Amino acid sequence: MLEDFISGKRALFSEGVHTELRAQENRNRRISLVQGNLTGNQRTQSAGVCARVYQNGVYGFSSMAECTGQAAEAVLRAATQNAAFMDRHVGRGKGSLEPIPQREIPLNREMQDTQQKRYIEFAKEVDAYITQKYPGLSSRSVMALEDSMEKRICTSDGCSGHICSPRSYLYVFMNTETTSGVPIELFEVMGGAGIFGENFTDPALLYPKLDGLYEKLMKKREGVYAEAGLKTVVLGGILPGMLAHEAVGHTVEADLVLGGSVAGPALHKQVASGLVSMVDFAHTAFGKTAPLPVYLDDEGTPAQDAVLIKEGVLTGYMNSRESAQHFGMQPAGNARAFGFSDEPLIRMRNTAVLPGKDKLEDIIASVEDGYYLTDTNNGQADTTGEFMFGVCMGYEIKKGKLGRAILDTTISGVAFEMLKTVDMVSDTVVWASSGMCGKKQPMPVGMGGPALRCKVMIGGR
Amino acid sequence: MEDIREVAKKVGTALERAGAQKAQYTVTEKETHEFNVDGGEFSLFRTLFDHSLTITAYKENKKGSVAINSFADSALTQAAEDCIRSAGNGISDSAYDIAPRQENKRFCDGAYEPDIDLFFTRTKELMRDIREQYPKILMEQMIVSHDKVHSIYQNTNGTEFESCRGAYSISLMFSGHEGERSTSFFGSDIYTDRLDRPFIELGSLRKDLADVQAQLSTVPLTGKFEGTIVLTPASMKEFLYAIGRNFASDGVILEKTSIWLDKLGQKVADERITLSLRPGDPRIVCGERYTGDGFLSEDFDLIQNGVLKSFLLSLYVANKSGFAPAKNSSFAVVMEGGDTPYDELIKGIKRGLIVGRFSGGQPGINGEFSGVAKNSFLIEDGTVKGAVSETMINGNLAGLLNSLVAISKETVEDGSSVLPYAAFDGVVISGK
Repeated sequence: MLEDFISGKRALFSEGVHTELRAQENRNRRISLVQGNLTGNQRTQSAGVCARVYQNGVYGFSSMAECTGQAAEAVLRAATQNAAFMDRHVGRGKGSLEPIPQREIPLNREMQDTQQKRYIEFAKEVDAYITQKYPGLSSRSVMALEDSMEKRICTSDGCSGHICSPRSYLYVFMNTETTSGVPIELFEVMGGAGIFGENFTDPALLYPKLDGLYEKLMKKREGVYAEAGLKTVVLGGILPGMLAHEAVGHTVEADLVLGGSVAGPALHKQVASGLVSMVDFAHTAFGKTAPLPVYLDDEGTPAQDAVLIKEGVLTGYMNSRESAQHFGMQPAGNARAFGFSDEPLIRMRNTAVLPGKDKLEDIIASVEDGYYLTDTNNGQADTTGEFMFGVCMGYEIKKGKLGRAILDTTISGVAFEMLKTVDMVSDTVVWASSGMCGKKQPMPVGMGGPALRCKVMIGGR
Repeated sequence: MEDIREVAKKVGTALERAGAQKAQYTVTEKETHEFNVDGGEFSLFRTLFDHSLTITAYKENKKGSVAINSFADSALTQAAEDCIRSAGNGISDSAYDIAPRQENKRFCDGAYEPDIDLFFTRTKELMRDIREQYPKILMEQMIVSHDKVHSIYQNTNGTEFESCRGAYSISLMFSGHEGERSTSFFGSDIYTDRLDRPFIELGSLRKDLADVQAQLSTVPLTGKFEGTIVLTPASMKEFLYAIGRNFASDGVILEKTSIWLDKLGQKVADERITLSLRPGDPRIVCGERYTGDGFLSEDFDLIQNGVLKSFLLSLYVANKSGFAPAKNSSFAVVMEGGDTPYDELIKGIKRGLIVGRFSGGQPGINGEFSGVAKNSFLIEDGTVKGAVSETMINGNLAGLLNSLVAISKETVEDGSSVLPYAAFDGVVISGK
């Protein structure tokens, strides 16, 4: 448990500026089995304290890798000096931030540690199952990991609190070759928020998923290359979540809007079909705890949902306190930092397209000639909204029926154009939370969405 | 702050007490000064004081690794015990090892102490130069920083490497804007240990800014054709990294999925291609001086005149596979310029693309790649016709190496690589 050595330092905050003081510890546990060889067996931990000071539109920040009151005082001094340096040299004369009523956010859960033995034994059992049941694979890998953040946050105006966010996952990769000798790979990720022992109690509970992965790999083994061009597709699995995060979410982060993203001139305009709504959920979604709940951000803003698109109209951005003031919006708790030496940036939390009323079977049945795309291995997008997702599993749809599997391909489009082509939305949201979003700092994020029928460009030979 | 040599000594003692049979550990202290620009305006000044300890230890041929950032005596003892306990839970493997005793060395590289005033002045100058000379460029984000790093590496074979290094990094993300028109963003990264020239003169920054401004106007590209792509030094670095990872790295050699597994000493590329990893090259700023396994780093050729000369292996995978470990573990990639001036190279292309950035899915293990050609220009009959948008390219990484058209005479040095422009045939280019 991270001790409280910061709340007593509030008396040292300078007058007339906004100050944040944060103590933080990040832990990472990871083991990797490649072909049964233990290639990784790591435990990492980093802890320290930081301060950030806002003065007339510029920030000063400092951090130190020590969890002591003395270190807290040192970073407060340095951050205050840095803010004054910036104000003196590039002063923006913006005045102070809108105040947020002070209150205390209580600790949401306790942090516990898990010994390496637990990860290794669990992964070895999963590996043994794969080896015994699927001896024909050309290779296999199993990776078990847990990462967590524990933070104590104290601000001059705004909420203070103590929060803890662990998550844990098991990755399984299977490789084989197509009939013509081309190596192919598929993977499955299991897990979510919580420590390893909470998410993984019995390896046998995962075996149906592993069997499903193998079955998909065998279909992919017989797969064909997708035909290149503009196609009608059903985006399924985590692809709609990827779309929500990469192609839309980043463009509506207010710092990227200020950097010239396509969402700047699109506010209050129709950017998607009326069937599309999108929300960045804070801690609760559809009546349940969101995949990676956020209760308080690192600027002292209590977390609330940020509505981004409502029935096709772009209604808002994700903000920091400063950007919210600039755009005349309310901050919703999106300013988050990854490590103790990181300053808060505008980040997504659990970004999702809202479900519609269609059944997935009906959506597939409605496609005369197209593709049902189910798995992705990466995605990138531009501030113009132009996106690219790697697709590592999918199927042809011919006359409303699923056909042959397809080999790895890529889809691309421009988000605010492609979203206008969405004409069917399924009633079930699929979430993913294992990813790290990269934007100067990494950050765990959740993303989700229902299956969407739309038109995208498919790359292919 | 504890002296890091004292910390290293305490770690060595703690590991011995905990029962380590072999171990290596690095104690590091680091100071960072960083300025940020967001949306075209200065936004933040950061100073960071960090330190860290990483330990890898072996007992009964079992391996454990720990990293912490506390130098308190109790934390050092706990880290050593934790590492040995983790190793004890591991799997015994005789391939785990550390480098044999190397000559102890002290390395001093770059600009160890920053000149913050001059650094800030150069940064302001860069902002002014861009505003005045490239008025349609909006700086989405700029991060400039100086890292001062002091570290001590020791292992149980008696090796000690001490390193003091300091360098400035300049990282820009920008796009072109005119009215409601905007371009894709583009990133330029430069690493330097000198402040004697305006930043705008470094690397390919001027060309990058001019190219992005030119991308505000696009020409239509419809249909699909097989053509030539010209990789810029920046995009070539991405492709070379993917080639290394897909065909020569630890994972694919251990899994035996690399298509180069039986190609050592054989031709895998056009004979004009020599691709080296040279952290010791004077054009590389603060290059790697010792590997993650404790060997002194040496420059080497991955591909020499088209022939595969090495894999990019750690000592562990080298021991598992029977191949030699890589002579350095950096990606300080160097390809010398060819004999074709850039303008001539373009003139020789019938139809193709200059690819400034590739936004693609992770290439398959067979090397197939597919993705969007960003910040790219159409070439027809030896002339650059204009920028394109929503254009995809598909090809094969191994195929590219064997379909070289030409290598430019000009190279770009960005402090972490030295690369020319190069043209390759046989890539499928698809417009909207």
